[in-house]
Amino acid sequence: MDEKLYQIISRVFNVDASKINDETTPVNLEEWDSFNFYVLLDELENEFNIQFNLDETLEIKKIGDFKKIFEKHKIGNKQ
Amino acid sequence: MKNEENLAYFLNEAKTIKTRNLGKKLRVAFLANSTINGFEETMRVKCFQKGIDCITYVADYNQYNQEILNQDSRLYQFKPDITFLILDTRHVLGDHFFSWHKVSHDEKSKFVERSINEIKKLCNTFEENLETKLVITSLQIPSYSSYGINESREIRGLKEIVHEINNELLDEFGRHNVSPKIFIYDFNEFIMKFGEKNIFNYKQFFSGDIKISTEYVPKFVNELMGYIYAITGTTKKCIVLDLDNTLWGGIIGEDGFDNIKLGDNPIGRSFVEFQKRLLGLNQRGIILAINSKNNFDDAIEVIQKHPNMILSEDNFASVKINWDDKVLNLQKISEELNIGLDSIVFFDDDPINQEYVKDSLPDVLVVDLPKDSSRYAQIITEMKEFDVLKITEEDTKRGDMYLDQKKRNELENKVGDFNEFLKQMNIEVTVQKANSFSIPRIAQLTLKTNQFNLTTRRYQEEEVSKFSSSDDKIVECVEVSDKFGNNGITGTYIIEKKSDEEWVVDTFLLSCRIMGRGVEEIMMNQIIENAKLSGIKRIKGEFIPTAKNKPAENFYEELGFNKENNFWVFNTDNIIKKPEHIKVIKNG
Repeated sequence: MDEKLYQIISRVFNVDASKINDETTPVNLEEWDSFNFYVLLDELENEFNIQFNLDETLEIKKIGDFKKIFEKHKIGNKQ
Repeated sequence: MKNEENLAYFLNEAKTIKTRNLGKKLRVAFLANSTINGFEETMRVKCFQKGIDCITYVADYNQYNQEILNQDSRLYQFKPDITFLILDTRHVLGDHFFSWHKVSHDEKSKFVERSINEIKKLCNTFEENLETKLVITSLQIPSYSSYGINESREIRGLKEIVHEINNELLDEFGRHNVSPKIFIYDFNEFIMKFGEKNIFNYKQFFSGDIKISTEYVPKFVNELMGYIYAITGTTKKCIVLDLDNTLWGGIIGEDGFDNIKLGDNPIGRSFVEFQKRLLGLNQRGIILAINSKNNFDDAIEVIQKHPNMILSEDNFASVKINWDDKVLNLQKISEELNIGLDSIVFFDDDPINQEYVKDSLPDVLVVDLPKDSSRYAQIITEMKEFDVLKITEEDTKRGDMYLDQKKRNELENKVGDFNEFLKQMNIEVTVQKANSFSIPRIAQLTLKTNQFNLTTRRYQEEEVSKFSSSDDKIVECVEVSDKFGNNGITGTYIIEKKSDEEWVVDTFLLSCRIMGRGVEEIMMNQIIENAKLSGIKRIKGEFIPTAKNKPAENFYEELGFNKENNFWVFNTDNIIKKPEHIKVIKNG
């Protein structure tokens, strides 16, 4: 799952997967801009078949934050 | 979805492409009142893939009024070949979008009138000041009205007034009063095709005023590509079709006449629908041809006699049903119909044939036809490669013209001697000055003719129109007919009256269907005769070589022009060779 996440991010931002980790932010990764972030959100929704809430998307400051949302959504699925 | 169709793909590709300084160039401007990130990137990549070097300009957010109305704006400095103005209904309606029911009857009328006038003013200013195309999107019909089920009972409900604005624009710039510069793109067609729920993503809208969601940007840009193909003349002219499992289900050689699937069963219906789409394209000017490995007699029997066959033998300008190599057949079709391989689209269900043709003839557009025939009709209706700026009379008659051509070829084979054949053809050439009827066709010819074209200068309708009314230019065209039928307007030339002594040939071209029968000589004769009458001493012309105009390479020399530096010059005191087998009629 982490691997798939990195893979998609690497494809959308067009950067080598090795440059991406949980601490990656728009500041330390210049390929991450405000517009392709929307593209990324959309692709992740499709690939993982989930719907982010708007407030969740606003809280994403680094790649690691995606994982938190995924965890939350999984818990949501179990209930 | 394949990665190549994702916006991420286009955004990243756009960073890597470089203009190649070859092929066609195009300057595209985008104006909008919403976020249109990704549009220009996608268009540049799509153009690049089609051999068009596209340079773009995206106006600042919501600056479209100033950009068009102020002639010092960056839009004017950019000098676009085509401009897309993407209008958003929410923006045009403002708060009325939510509270239309509160607007009084008087106010409604005023609002509608004001909105229409604003858009008309933009279009009119554009028309007056720019010699290029403007594509404006019609307004999206809202899917929700606070009137609810009473919307349709209201006079001038919310949806109705948006329709009203759209209709008014169509009346002004489309329909009976067709503007050569202004095109209205039916935005609701896009919404109908893909659905508002998919296209409009509230999260993206709230986050970044994105009104076409990132997932659908490539699909929207694809809709706009029809204009790009048309304006650059990269439109496809001919569809070459396989037969088994392409035009009907099953294999005629194995299943037999009675067992192929065509007609009244689910599989059969999918092929009927596909054939109906092909017929529709054929009727408005796309040439059809067959390239199939089969016993000729088996396959032609289906085409001639099968009760559910939609296309008939007469719809095909060229029929290659044999056991020859498919690539060889495609090359023969291209030669026989005198159209470039890059004007051909190939439909074949067999992935091996698809790959083979793609590898051997990269210029041919090979459609990735899937195994499932239920998708064929959809695939062809989603292709934008057949769009032209204007459907001319020649387009609608093209099918008949190619049928006549078949008969000409038969006569030529029968007679054997080419000169004797030409005599028997009874060719008549009518020469006429450009007029409002012929100007769209003349522009189309300059955009589409590649082979017998001495200078390959591409002109839009409004440019031809300007030339024809100028005192410094002569714009004439020829209509060619013979005993088999009328070929329509197939040749044109534009002469620049350089001085009292010298005329320069700016453009001289002849449709490849007509080439080689003496019509080109007749056209040059006309120019020289006119020149003599006007006391002109010298006719000067140049040959600008391209990848495709080799057939015209020796034209000047053969007619007795002399080379002077880069130009070919004819002294009008000399006598020019004139074909005797052609009757010339002067008209206007």
